[in-house]
Amino acid sequence: MTRRKFVRKILETWPAAGVVVSALARKASAQKAKLRRFVRAHPMGWYPGPVKPLQDIHKQSKWSG
Amino acid sequence: MKVQCELCPKICLMQPGQSGECRVRINVDGVLRTVVYGYPCSISVDPVEKKPLNHFLPGSVILSLATVGCNLHCKNCQNWEISQANPEDGTAPAEFWPPERLVAACRQLRCPSLAYTYTDPIVYYEYTYDIAKRARQAGIRNVLVTAGYINEPPWRQLLEYVDAANIDLKGITEEFYRDVCSATLKPVQNALVLAKAAGVHVEVTNLIIPTLNDKPEQIRELARWTRANLGAETPLHFSGFYPRYQMRNLPPTSLATLEDARQIGLSEGLNYVYIGNIASKQGQNTYCPACKKLLIERSGYTILQNRLKDGRCPDCSREIQGVWK
Repeated sequence: MTRRKFVRKILETWPAAGVVVSALARKASAQKAKLRRFVRAHPMGWYPGPVKPLQDIHKQSKWSG
Repeated sequence: MKVQCELCPKICLMQPGQSGECRVRINVDGVLRTVVYGYPCSISVDPVEKKPLNHFLPGSVILSLATVGCNLHCKNCQNWEISQANPEDGTAPAEFWPPERLVAACRQLRCPSLAYTYTDPIVYYEYTYDIAKRARQAGIRNVLVTAGYINEPPWRQLLEYVDAANIDLKGITEEFYRDVCSATLKPVQNALVLAKAAGVHVEVTNLIIPTLNDKPEQIRELARWTRANLGAETPLHFSGFYPRYQMRNLPPTSLATLEDARQIGLSEGLNYVYIGNIASKQGQNTYCPACKKLLIERSGYTILQNRLKDGRCPDCSREIQGVWK
């Protein structure tokens, strides 16, 4: 392919590429709008695992720290 | 709807039903929920020296709690059974303890302070915050034991209710934080500086892991950073590593390495450098930086003698930074 043909091909496909890019940008912006940001979480109100009693709290913990 | 948690620098993006890296903050129908609020997996009365805090109410007991979950995944974690647990698996206990019950227990057990520890209080932020607020109103002091991996706005808000913190500075390179902890260094350094600036009593812990962060030049750089950014009066604890979790291939840290680290810390101008997780005669004691006399003698978590008089050396009257009463 000559350089001239290559440049012509690019110019021919440019509008199509523009359409794809703008569609992708629209999609990304829509997804961004759907995103909700939080710093603080709301308490769930219930525990998702089994609720089991703790060990004797008067004793020193086996965990580090 | 997707949810982004902006509590810590991980900034987890969660699809509905997904949790963040900490395993305890979940996207439920487009709302960020904490599943561990009010459900600690451990509550204990510990000596304050165990946190470790050597300049905060020495010899006192501290009501210490944790929920499961952590935003770091350190390969050497000593508490991985709870820090890396999924709440729904039921491998760790969980009992309902609303904030007011904890504060009441603290009073009943005559603990002058409460510690948020064992895992990382950052991931149970809302629970920590609510307890800390109530505890402060009740005249109880709040202590955080944390990796300090949190974003600045929530950190500043929490610090308003914090009296003391032991913050891990796990290494002094981004590579160490990335490879060993799946985190980054800068936010931790920022958290340390902010805590100090907020007037919180800060002590720093560095766990020395053979071959990974035990080179004298790394220890020197860490001590230098601590002195330059937090001040010479900041206590620094060099802790011994034990093979745990995903790092069972390395030997425990030798006493010699920890003693060398202590000497490096002192030579860099830090006034209080301690050795932890291993028996050490001098490395556990507090000495006056001016006249070098023994001030607080410790054996493990036990105070053998405390010669401080109103927070000062009884021999030369030099002020020793800390919270003594």
